[in-house]
Amino acid sequence: MSKTDYDVIVIGGGSTGTAVVRDSAMRGLKTLLLERDDIASATVGTCAGMISSGFKYYNEPEFMDMCTDEVMHLRKIARHIVMKLPILFPVLDFSEISSGGVSKGMEEYAKRVERRGVPPFLILAPEVALELEPMLHPDVVASGYIEEFFIDPFRLSVLQAMDAKKHGADVYTYSEVTDLTVVEKEGIGVSYHNRLTGQIETVKGKVVINAAGPWAHKIAKLAGANLDLRLTKGSHIILDRRIVNVGITTRAVDRRWVYMYPHENTTLIGTTDLPTWENPDELVASHDEIEYLFKSFEWIVPSVREARIIRTMVGVRPMIPTWKVPEDEVSRSFEVVDHEPQGVSGLISFTGGKLVVCRRMAQDAVDLACEKLGKGLDCRTHIEPLPGMEGDVDILGLSEEHSISQHALERMRIRRGTEVQEILNLVREYPEWRSSMCTCEPVIEAEIRYAIRNEFPHTLNDLRRRLRLGTGPCQGTFCTFKAAAILAEELELNGEDYQLEIMDFLSERWKGKRPPMRGEQLAQEELVQGVYACVANLDQTMNELDYDLKPWEEVS
Amino acid sequence: MDLDTDVLVIGGGMAGLAAGIRSQERGANTTLIRKGQSATSYSSGAIDVSGYLPGGSQQLLSAREGIEAITSLYPLHPYSILGFGSADNDDVPGLAIERVGQAVEWLTKHLKSTPAQLYGGIDSNLEGITLVGTKKPTALLQQTIWPGEFAVDDEGVMLFLGIKGVSDLNPKIASKTFLDNQARTGEPPHKVGNASLDIAPFGHGYNLSTTNIARWLDREENLVTFIEQVKKKAEQFGATYVALPPILGLEENLKNQKALQEATGASVFELLAFPPSVPSFRLQRGLERVFIEKGGHLLIGHEAEPCGIESSKITEVLARSPRRKVEITTRSVVLASGKYIGGGLAATVEGLRETVFGLMTVTDEFRESGKTRPQRLTNVVSLSPESHSLFGCGLSVDQFLRPVNPDGDATAENLFAAGSILAGYSYAMEKCGLGVALATGHYAGETAAANATGGGV
Ligand SMILES: Cc1cc2nc3c(=O)[nH]c(=O)nc-3n(C[C@H](O)[C@H](O)[C@H](O)COP(=O)(O)OP(=O)(O)OC[C@H]3O[C@@H](n4cnc5c(N)ncnc54)[C@H](O)[C@@H]3O)c2cc1C
Ligand SMILES: Cc1cc2nc3c(=O)[nH]c(=O)nc-3n(C[C@H](O)[C@H](O)[C@H](O)COP(=O)(O)OP(=O)(O)OC[C@H]3O[C@@H](n4cnc5c(N)ncnc54)[C@H](O)[C@@H]3O)c2cc1C
Repeated sequence: MSKTDYDVIVIGGGSTGTAVVRDSAMRGLKTLLLERDDIASATVGTCAGMISSGFKYYNEPEFMDMCTDEVMHLRKIARHIVMKLPILFPVLDFSEISSGGVSKGMEEYAKRVERRGVPPFLILAPEVALELEPMLHPDVVASGYIEEFFIDPFRLSVLQAMDAKKHGADVYTYSEVTDLTVVEKEGIGVSYHNRLTGQIETVKGKVVINAAGPWAHKIAKLAGANLDLRLTKGSHIILDRRIVNVGITTRAVDRRWVYMYPHENTTLIGTTDLPTWENPDELVASHDEIEYLFKSFEWIVPSVREARIIRTMVGVRPMIPTWKVPEDEVSRSFEVVDHEPQGVSGLISFTGGKLVVCRRMAQDAVDLACEKLGKGLDCRTHIEPLPGMEGDVDILGLSEEHSISQHALERMRIRRGTEVQEILNLVREYPEWRSSMCTCEPVIEAEIRYAIRNEFPHTLNDLRRRLRLGTGPCQGTFCTFKAAAILAEELELNGEDYQLEIMDFLSERWKGKRPPMRGEQLAQEELVQGVYACVANLDQTMNELDYDLKPWEEVS
Repeated sequence: MDLDTDVLVIGGGMAGLAAGIRSQERGANTTLIRKGQSATSYSSGAIDVSGYLPGGSQQLLSAREGIEAITSLYPLHPYSILGFGSADNDDVPGLAIERVGQAVEWLTKHLKSTPAQLYGGIDSNLEGITLVGTKKPTALLQQTIWPGEFAVDDEGVMLFLGIKGVSDLNPKIASKTFLDNQARTGEPPHKVGNASLDIAPFGHGYNLSTTNIARWLDREENLVTFIEQVKKKAEQFGATYVALPPILGLEENLKNQKALQEATGASVFELLAFPPSVPSFRLQRGLERVFIEKGGHLLIGHEAEPCGIESSKITEVLARSPRRKVEITTRSVVLASGKYIGGGLAATVEGLRETVFGLMTVTDEFRESGKTRPQRLTNVVSLSPESHSLFGCGLSVDQFLRPVNPDGDATAENLFAAGSILAGYSYAMEKCGLGVALATGHYAGETAAANATGGGV
């Protein structure tokens, strides 16, 4: 087998693609992942990270079972990046609890609480609900109570990719698949544009697994195959602080379910669901979506508009193509599509799916790939842990030993588990790398250096996904120039690329900040303009350097 | 508590303090109230007057040249308004330049021999070098930020000297950026070096802030070893220029700079910095000291309460602090409450408003902006060379800097506005922030004082 021949080539480095490459490599198949941008740069990075019990999907009990299994697997293989959150379902009228399938949902939820290790579905008296969450409307008459698990979608994807590499896979980011050529009996030739070198390269895979999320139909088309997807736009609002301590779910203006989750040092409110045919790269949240979410929550959390909106976040769901039914009646499960009946025997695609079931999606697809390859290899992704699970991390002890605040270490542990030790080894050698680079999230210089050296980021945006850098209330105002300098140093970028790196990062942040621009956020934005235009004079540099407009900047 | 004053200044940034000092100098008993943060205390140590024309990409050689062009191209730019004068004035550029020039000289005089001492003027723009290695045109730099003149055939070496644990300056990357930009423009110096000092002033070399080091260097006993270390590095690189983060002192920076220059034989200077920055602290404190020396009455932590304007004159303003209320009776008011950072302007999703008197706000094109969703005043590109309308929004004023109503008439005969609350310019793009604040503040102070003591403008 030549160097460019693979058993399996995976297209797309989201939650699905990284799960597939890990599974395939773990089974000993020679595997390559091609991702157009960075790991987790698309849909998965815009999701809420809930690995749900499936409460809302009570009409799909098998899917609820699958979700339950997957949550338990993820808690076993990636404990350090999973957390649990109580969720309230407060109502102003009892009929909201007794109608609309809620009781069916409760029933199905209750069946699985033991396996998930959480308390049964509870209905709380208003004073209990208000004690748990004082921000609720005082007229709440009762509240449902459930517990759900969440996972860091960026870290999960990165860890899956890292683990795949450890098992021998090749993972190429910034490699955009441009063509698929079916070669009879041998598999599929895959051409990709290496965006780092500008070259077109070609590799061959006996099986190609198309995990390109909302672009999957385009990939299928490259091979002359057909894939139907129901694509919907989903937007979130992110607030500058935790306005609630627990999750809250409620009915939106149109009776859909919407939610509000405290997330790290922010609050996430979502989501909308609108049919879309736009290029996902160009989409930004609309005024209507923002107001829809606010209006839907005002009834139950009256102060929702008081916090500052720091950004919006948009993703496109690649759903199973069921048409002429409301969004919430579309199955949230997934299908593994074998394109053989269409005459493309080596190509496998997905429709539907969620973050929570990404491992399972991968397992089913790789099972099919093995069948095609004539190999009976077993899946082990639910047994073997992801990196960072080699034991406990003694925050108190390490904090004292290394003179780093407990808070900073705790945040690092949540991203990295036992890898913390390797970062602290760097600190031993370079004491000044203890310095905190970000005022919102205490990311220290050593972790930035470690991520650059070990997790293959090429841009500051890639670093953000690995570190949560620039994602807090100031949205990178104070850390961008510092972190970009470290990146430039490690990757030996020249001065112009350093400046472009800053501008690219700010423009990506602006994409999410611009739609909800109002209130206190204007002062924050004046500060950004003050730092990067008024003082650093980068608005002028923009005229002089080859700044590429981003997809959302090209449309206005 | 009650208080009676000739002139009440609302806002304690550059515009408010310039107005306050000037008004006090003109014999009006002046009270200044300041709520909290100001853009002035976020600034970098440069007093920009005019670096680029609106939307322009050509660096202006002097502020004078900029004001001249602005006054003929943009009749509602604050500099043009300063040039209006009386109805028979036919030299708008001339008067504008005169007024701005006077204000600049006046400020330079007041800050002489203080930590915020300035170098420069409106006849020639300087280039400040920033922490990231870029440069920007500006009219004046604090003395300790001025790198010195570069000769056309300058063979010198520019050493970017960081300090381990101060994350604001990455000397390696700043020097690279500086060199790349120099190569593009062909300007000297063409030789750079970079190094870091390991001084661990508080027993550790991490999480150090420029402010804490500046405070540390204010103490003479710490200077000796610091000088030795800088000298060693300067010699090692044969440096003729040594660029440091802004750490030379909150109080003793002039003296410290001199000592360093003498020891190294090089020009030792500070880079333009981002907030929280030592130079802006020196500026803010320097201005406040002058105001107090002149006999001004400074009330920190007092916020002017929102109130309507009921008659043609404002006679009373209520100021509130966490512990008390002050009823201020006044004869003139200068509104210098800043933009969004200062808090003079605020926006809901419905539109923009002025926060104290509910005055009419306009866009950079002087259309009413009270009902415009802020997002509509932004561009799709973040660091846009055209800037964003949002940052050109503010108050429209008459030739005496009095905010006008939709009919174009002064809202109140004794209310004057100055600084970044004014509409019609983008300071971040044009590089003119503190310059506009200074010049309009200076003029508003004079007019408000005249109005309060002599009656009428
Ligand atoms: C608003 C929102 C909220 C959600 N919340 C949740 C939730 O809480 N819990 C949950 O379980 N699920 C949630 N989901 C669903 C979940 O996010 C997605 O189903 C899942 O993340 C999709 O992952 P993916 O890897 O399939 O797609 P993506 O993450 O989109 O990955 C596809 C990748 O393919 C790459 N690609 C595309 N074209 C090419 C090409 N030509 N060459 C190479 N690479 C290419 C893209 O760059 C991209 O990185 C949510 C979805 C949305 C939109
Ligand atoms: C990061 C940054 C860097 C900058 N760097 C430079 C630079 O290097 N050079 C330059 O020339 N310009 C620079 N600028 C621009 C410059 O700082 C501003 O244009 C200028 O400071 C505006 O001054 P001002 O007095 O109008 O407003 P501000 O300085 O904002 O002052 C407004 C004052 O009003 C007070 N206030 C507001 N409302 C009330 C109320 N109701 N009651 C009482 N007080 C109130 C505030 O507390 C504050 O004291 C920079 C700006 C930023 C953001």
